[in-house]
Parts: sequence; C-alpha cells; structure tokens
Amino acid sequence: MKQITVGIDCGSAACKGVLIKEDSILAVCVKPTGWNPKETARTVFQELLEQTETAEHEIRVAATGYGRVGIDFAHKKITEITCHASGADYLLKGVRTIIDIGGQDSKVISVENGKVLSFQMNDKCAAGTGRFLEMSAHRMGVDLSDFPKLLTEGKRCSLSSMCAVFADSEIVSLLAAGKTREEIAGGIIQSVVTKVMALAGRVGTESPILLTGGLAQMEGIRKELEFQTGCPVNVSQFSRYAGAIGAALKA
Amino acid sequence: MIEMKKELPLVFDSFADARKNGFLAVKKIKDSGKGVVGQFCTYTPLEIFMAAGLVSVSLCSTSDETIPDAEKDLPGNLCPLIKSSYGFAVTDKCPYMYFADLVVGETTCDGKVKMYELLAKKKNLHILQLPRNQFTPESKALWRSEIVRLKERVEKDFGVTITDDMLRDAIHKRNEERRLLKELYELSTLCPPPITGLRQLQILFGSQFKFDWKEKTEEIQNAINQIKSGYDAGERPVSIDAPRILITGCPMGGVTEKVVKVIEEAGGVVVAYENCTGAKQMDRQCLEEGDPITNIADHYLQIGCSIMTPNPSRFELLGRLCEQFKVNGVVEMTLQACHTYAVESHTVKKFLEERNIPYLQLETDYGTADIGQLSTRAGAFVEML
Ligand code: SF4
Ligand code: SF4
Repeated sequence: MKQITVGIDCGSAACKGVLIKEDSILAVCVKPTGWNPKETARTVFQELLEQTETAEHEIRVAATGYGRVGIDFAHKKITEITCHASGADYLLKGVRTIIDIGGQDSKVISVENGKVLSFQMNDKCAAGTGRFLEMSAHRMGVDLSDFPKLLTEGKRCSLSSMCAVFADSEIVSLLAAGKTREEIAGGIIQSVVTKVMALAGRVGTESPILLTGGLAQMEGIRKELEFQTGCPVNVSQFSRYAGAIGAALKA
Repeated sequence: MIEMKKELPLVFDSFADARKNGFLAVKKIKDSGKGVVGQFCTYTPLEIFMAAGLVSVSLCSTSDETIPDAEKDLPGNLCPLIKSSYGFAVTDKCPYMYFADLVVGETTCDGKVKMYELLAKKKNLHILQLPRNQFTPESKALWRSEIVRLKERVEKDFGVTITDDMLRDAIHKRNEERRLLKELYELSTLCPPPITGLRQLQILFGSQFKFDWKEKTEEIQNAINQIKSGYDAGERPVSIDAPRILITGCPMGGVTEKVVKVIEEAGGVVVAYENCTGAKQMDRQCLEEGDPITNIADHYLQIGCSIMTPNPSRFELLGRLCEQFKVNGVVEMTLQACHTYAVESHTVKKFLEERNIPYLQLETDYGTADIGQLSTRAGAFVEML
C-alpha cells in the first residue's frame, strides 16, 4: 500500500492542510489560524481525515509555516521555503521562480527541479504582504474578499508610501482629495507588487513563474505581476496550498 | 594625571546580584591600583595598555536593555551596538564602562564617530584618527603617528612611562593569546568539528572579559586540551552530516548568539567566524622584531573591516577560511542600520557566487522579536545545502 501523507502549513493568517495519496491530492482544508495555531492545525488535520475516512495511524505528517513548531503530532518539521519549492514544482512542473504573497510575509524563491537555489523574504514590515492589503481595504470600508471588485482595468493612482502605517494615512488623504476607491485600490495593488519586485530583483525571475500564497487567486495581483516582470505569471487552483503540498510530499 | 574612579555608582543598590558581582569584580581591580581602559573596536592597539600595566576591556554592548535610554539622545534608526553601548554609559549599568578611566574610540563608522562626541561629555575619551585606506604611505604614517599619540595620552593620564621593551613584551604576550585562540577555533576544521559554533563563540567572546594574561592563556590552553582529548575519546557533539557554515559580518556575542542558535537548531554547524569576535583579530601575528610602534601600527591597520575602502583584506581572509574550514555555506549577519556591512554584503555575495558557495544575509538587531523570521530563513538555508 502506498503511504498516505498530510502536509500542514500553519501561516500567520491561515492554516492550510493537504492529504496526498499516490501523488494525488485527495483532500484540502483551510482555516483562519486564529489565536491558537496548535489547535487550529489539529482541527485542519481532523477534517482531512474525516473527508477521506482515513485513520490517523496510517499517516505521516509534516508541518511547515510559522506555527510548525507547536504542531506536536507532526513527524517532521520543514521550513516553508523548502516546502514551497517542492509544492510549486508539483503544481507546475519545471517551475523556476515562485512568488509567494502571504499574510505576514512575502517571498521570492528561485528553484530548479523543486530544489531551492536562493530566496528572499521581506523584512520586518507589512508592506508587500496580505496584511497590508487587508489594512488598506478596511481603511476604504471593504472586506478583503470584496476588495477585488474594486479593481478596474486602467484605474489607479500612485501611492508613495511603502510603509503600511504611512500608507494608511495616505489613503485617508487621497479619499479626502476626491480620488475614487477604484483608483486607490489600483494603487494599493501596484504598491504591493512593487515591494515584491524589489525582492525578485535580488533573486532574479526566470520563467516559468508560479504565484502562490493566500493572495494568488486575486487576478489583479497576477496581472500587475505580469506587467512588472514582463513574463507570464501562472497560478493554480491549489496555489495557496503550495506549502502544504510540499510538506505532504516530504513527510 | 587623571584621578581613577574607585567608588560604586549611586544606582548600585538597585542592581540584581549578577550585575552587583560584576561591579564588585571590577572594583577589586580598581582597588588594587590598576587603571582600566575601555575600547570599542578591534583596531584599538591593546598592546599599549598592556605595556602600561592597565586592564583593557571591550565596551561593545550586546543587549537591548539600555537602548530606550540611549534613544533619548540618539536616533532610533542607528546600529544597536552603538545605541546600547551609549545607553550603558548614560545609565551606569555596565561595570566596565562605569569604571573605565579612559575610553578609546576610532574614526570607524559614522554612527560611532558621532556617538563618541556625545560620550565625551560623560567619559574621558581619546579618539584615534583611523584612515580608511590600508596601503598608501600617507595612511600608514598617519596611523603610526596616531599610535604614538595614544601612547603619550596613556602615559600622561596614568602617570607611567612606556618603553619599547615593554611594548615588545606586550606584543609577544598578545601574539601568544592570538595564537592560542586561533588554535582553538581551528579545531573546527575537523570533520565533524569537536565543538558547536555556539560553544566556539562563547569561548571567543568570553576571552575578551578575562583580565589576567596568565590566567587567560592557561584557560584557553586548558579548553584546547579538553576539547582535543574529548574528541580523541570519541566524543562527537556535532553530526558528521551537519552542513558547515561560516559566519561573517558585524561583531557578535550576547543576544546575537541567536543567529548561531537558529543555524544549529536547523541542523547546521557554525565552524568559523570571519568577524571581530573571531578570526579578524586572531588570524595574523604582529611582527616582534624591529620598531614596536611601527609593528603595532602595521598590524592593526591590516584588519579587514567594512569601514575600509576598498577592503581587500576581508576577502583574502574570507576566501582562505572558506577553503580551510571546508564550508558549505556562508551566513552574513548585519546589524540593522550598519551601512558599511550592509552595502559590502553585495560584494560578499558576488565574491561567493564566483566560488559557488551559497550565501545568506540575515539582518537583525538586539531584540528577540525576529527569532521566528531568523529561524525560517536559516532553516531554509540549511535545508538547501
Ligand atoms: S566591525 Fe569594524 S568597526 Fe566594528 S569592531 Fe570590528 S573593526 Fe571595529
Ligand atoms: S556594526 Fe556597523 S554600524 Fe555598528 S558599530 Fe560596527 S561598523 Fe558601526
């Protein structure tokens, strides 16, 4: 019998889980990490077991992400960089560059055959991350889930602040100056991508490129990345699970 | 002649026991009649103080305890080493800073230079004009004359005369110390190394705070013997598969041990330190024959710190250590707002790329909030080796 494995990627915003058997994804699950990563990871794990009607003892588990340290039922703990590399290669064979925009950090990883060649992560700063987007969306009175609706082709104004705290007050003054929410939304996306491109500049971006992380499904980000890199940027329906998939493959 | 400080600070009673003991230990040295000189940098020629019979001690602080106090006078966006050292001076919390009768600084990086101006209001301070070039006759001559000026200042402040023979003796003793510490860290050329990088760092760092030359050299010799015999008896504290890491960049110790810890917790081992806590100061011997002042000047000027421009000595040493210690990867630790090391890191990256040695730069400060981020980066780096 082929081994069944589970990968759990416990990030700062969301905890993702994937169950893999014979190289196929049988179940996925995602929950907000909340204040207790350990418990959330356990819940995600239980759900994967229930979805596939598997018993716990048949499974090997690997944990990744910031919350990995506390996940005591994992047999292995691996950093999210390594996991992203192998997960991305599973989703897009031969991928050379991974751009991951997550809740608390964003990273750019250069890979070959699923192995990390070099990587860059943003420093202690929310700019260029999901958190920045979320804060900015709230400032304009919309939820992150409704934010993409504001994005309109060709509408953008430029935001000069790279810092999340300053951008917050800049948005207030832009709104006061009569800019539309659509224009500001365009500006926010541009600012997130510019910050990520600064990381990419240090690693280099070779095609094919895969976008992963919680914001991967936001079409506006993908388009802006294509615009700024000048290369096609791919996403997969499982993009946000890339880290968890990698963990499951390495479990 | 200056008056030497022997009284405990007014805030002494508020200190915890460990700190009280630190103060009492230095007070004992002072009561025995010895003067204390504090320095901040590897360029400071300790032979001068040793020849004068003074005790010298590093004042570079490695904790964030006094940073809030320092930030009353200094900008937030400044290297933590500078801020915390200054903070200890204004709060009287460091026994060495407090009891130092003379503090010596060099014109190294901009932040330190301007901090010294403020420190001069608190302490008896002497600044050495360090040139930023190591090779022209003019810079060598300037540096030599600065060493003479330092010697004269020490003679005046402490009422002593320093002869050439005293200097030669000091050079000889310091060479012995360098040789022993080098022998100690070179034990880690073994595969697997006989000690962890954390232990190596703690020994190197700790040796800066031993004040009796004889005791100090004996202790280092004992440590070497102990490590060797343990290894011969089959002790293997480090796995043979652990990727071998060299650390380069800003000085380390205290809180920044966290960088070594995250690397070693991820399964790597730090085998060498190309920084001021490690090989930068121990690698070379000072010439013993000839004019001692010239020898001292020439020896110190060759230190490969990023404040030099260009800085070929650093790359000569880095390249050599990478080969000698068979390193699999290099991690550079830069302290936040240390511009010289941060900018030079690009040159380090290119230098290592040409040699096919993977490289990771970690920027950090004296806080502990970034441990998670550091361990992810270091962990991924070790996993990729
Ligand atoms: S890194 Fe440079 S400035 Fe700092 S102690 Fe070493 S030699 Fe001095
Ligand atoms: S670490 Fe850098 S900025 Fe800080 S004192 Fe040393 S050279 Fe100056």
